[in-house]
Order: sequence, then C-alpha cells, then structure tokens
Amino acid sequence: MQIRFFVNGKEVELSVSPKRRLLDILREDLDLVGTKEGCGKGECGACTVVMNGLAVNSCLVPAFQLDQCHIFTIEGLRERPWFPLLERAYVDHGAVQCGFCTTGFVMSTAALLANAAPPLSLEQIKWQLAGNICRCTGYAKILAAVMDLSQQQSVVNEIKLDWQSAIGGR
Amino acid sequence: MERIFRPRSLEELDRIIREDSTYLTFVAGATDLMVQRQHWNDALSLVDLTAVQEIREHLEVRDDQVLIGAAVPVSRLIAHPILQQRLPMLIESCRQIGSVQIQNRATLGGNIANASPAGDSLPVLCVLGAELWIGPQKNGQFEISTIEQVMRNPGETSLAGHRYIAFIRIPFPREKNCYWYFRKVGQRKALTISKVSLAVLGWSEDGNVEEIRIAPGSVTPQIRRARATEAVIERQVLTEALIDTACQVLQKEVNPISDIRSNENFRRRVCGELLREALFKLLWEHAR
Repeated sequence: MQIRFFVNGKEVELSVSPKRRLLDILREDLDLVGTKEGCGKGECGACTVVMNGLAVNSCLVPAFQLDQCHIFTIEGLRERPWFPLLERAYVDHGAVQCGFCTTGFVMSTAALLANAAPPLSLEQIKWQLAGNICRCTGYAKILAAVMDLSQQQSVVNEIKLDWQSAIGGR
Repeated sequence: MERIFRPRSLEELDRIIREDSTYLTFVAGATDLMVQRQHWNDALSLVDLTAVQEIREHLEVRDDQVLIGAAVPVSRLIAHPILQQRLPMLIESCRQIGSVQIQNRATLGGNIANASPAGDSLPVLCVLGAELWIGPQKNGQFEISTIEQVMRNPGETSLAGHRYIAFIRIPFPREKNCYWYFRKVGQRKALTISKVSLAVLGWSEDGNVEEIRIAPGSVTPQIRRARATEAVIERQVLTEALIDTACQVLQKEVNPISDIRSNENFRRRVCGELLREALFKLLWEHAR
C-alpha cells in the first residue's frame, strides 16, 4: 500500500507492505539506523520514536497506521537547537555506557520534558522512563541526567515550544 | 493478499461489516495484536478502528458519567483532570498498563477485546459498572453490554460475527462515603504483566458497609465480580473477624492457574491478602 507521512519534518511517500513495522521502515527503507531493535515486543524501549508528539515503540506501529503521521527519530532530534544541551547532560552524568539503549532513552527523555508539567520528582521520572531498559548503567546516572535537565527551566521551555511548533505535528 | 480497511466514520465501518464476507480482524492500538505473532500474521483482513474519528477521538464528560471512544489512547484518559478526580481508580489502572510508550497507543477497547484475564483495566471497569456499546448499530442503536457478558474465556469474547466495541460509558461513582482500592502485583513495579490484581469499590458509613463491589484480576478465566465475597461483607459492620472470613471466601471463590508468571497457590493467597489490605485500609479510615 501507498503511505504518506512525515519523518523528521520531511514528507515521505512509500509503497510498503501494510503490516510492516515502523521500526523496519525507518531502519531498512529510510536508512535511519539510530533507532534500535531490542526485544521487538514493546518491553525494552530501544526502538522508541516520537509519533505525533508522543513516545511510542516503533516495533508496535504497523505501516497502515502511519498515513499522515509525524514521526521524529534520534536523527531528527539531533538537528534541534536544544539537542546539544540534552546530549551534554547525558555526557556530564556519564549516562551512556554501551549506548544501545541510549537513543531510546533520549527520545523518552525529550518527550517527557516536552509533555510533563514541572517540577518532576525522581519518582515521576522513574515512572515515565519505565518503558526503557538499560542493562549497563543501573539507571542512577540516566535518572541524574534527566533530573538535572528537568530542573533547567530554559531548556524545558525551549523543548516545549519546539514540540508545539514542529515536533508534535498537529 | 492482505486487505486493510480504514473507515473514516461509523457509517463506513458498519457498511464494510455488512458487505464484506471475509473474516475481519479489528485493530486499535495494536500493542497486543502485533506481539501475538501468529494471530497478527494470520489476520488477512484488518479493520483499523483508530481510523474512525468518533471511536478514536470521542471523550465526552458529563456531570455523572463519561463516554469514551473505544480507540482513545489511555494516556489521554490518564492526563484528563476531571477523570483524575472522578475516576481515580480507572486512572490508576491505566497507569499500570505497560509503559508510557504503550499507554500512548493502547486503548480500553483493545484491553477488553483482547480478553486477557491479566488485562489491567478490566477489574476496574467491572466494579465501576462500565457499559460497552457494541456495533454495528441496528436501527441506529448500539447493543449495550458489560465486561462480564463480553468476556467468555482467556482470549475469547462474545464479539464473534464482526461485532466491535465502539464506546465505553462509565458512570461516576457516587462520591459520598465512597471508597476504592486497586492494586496489581507483578514481577516488578512497572511494565509488568499482572500475576494477580484486585479492584474494590464500595460505600460505607460509620463502619457499616452499604455496598461493595470486588473484582479480582488474573485469578479467574473471566473477569467477574466476586459476588460470594461481596455478600459476606455487604450490609455488615466491618470487623477484623469479618475481614478474615471475607479473605477466606475470596480465596475459595477464585480459580487461579499456574503458568510462567506465577503459580496457583501464590495467586490464591496473595489475592486474599490484597482484599485484607483493601478492607483494613477501609477500617482505618473509619477509625480516624
């Protein structure tokens, strides 16, 4: 079937098998390999992308539901003006070890900062990031990075604005 | 060759059902269906309920009830200020469904139609007395049903013959003297499939239980109210001895299985202990 949707702000038109997973379309058809496959059943969060402003598991989105949707992947977030600040927080807190889960965590972090009302407690951040699994860091450093970010009001505001104008899509 | 139907309205949806003779598989958020590989691969004609605007978007709050489109993502319910206030137990159970990523896709209609005894929202919808509006419409009317009527067995509903859940109507519980409890026990705190859960909704005054509704999850093949247990407590003064009896009755009333997630004995015992916790909390509230 023919689908038209937006990936990282650019319109894409593809002829795909209707039950193909968004994850495979991104990695194989569009060569956006920053999105990783972990479990393939919605439990690990490695394949997290943003769909119409919300974090979703791209392994659980079938092609036929993509028509007219707005998808952002890690490659798209990298181009946003606020991204270096998010990246800096992860680096400063040593929140990256092997890196496999990182893109998923970064997507969830950005969506969390964009969608949640501050201030965020550690408990809230844990709950919001529970859909992402990391087998290296023990989470403490990731949580520290996200907590740090959530307390930088200017960064949070910048992300929220960008979400409204570009990333949310509708 | 696979066929995908993406009807834009209820009329179009009902027309497809009337006119198409093949076996149709209804899909909403797809978070359960895509994981059931065989079922997913075998589904040759799919009807996407999220394409139908009324089913995907409708969320109508009134003074005493809410009408929710069956394919509204549960994250929209979780974020809704009035539902947080009037249906806190539904919000709590929705927060326990998968993860944020899943909640952004998963729907109440899907949770019900998937008919898993471990479906997190089901015991809560059951005690709230949720009404299911089943399509296709006949003479402009939906058929009205309940969780207990629709759920036949694990993975099996009464919705054969191309019937689908269009809306879920939930009456708000009377606020005066109302008490609720919901707890899910799993392997871990978040993103876990329930081993056993319990939803309790009741009204009581001065230690006197006027009405109580109890529905356990993951310990019976269908989600049902535990009516024998309810009868023990209803119109009684809550005491420690009565709580003991009620827990024993509930442990007899449920019918858990042993599987990969837990065993029968654990489920039965913990189910009773959840009720003990629920009732002791209620007892303490009265003691205050």
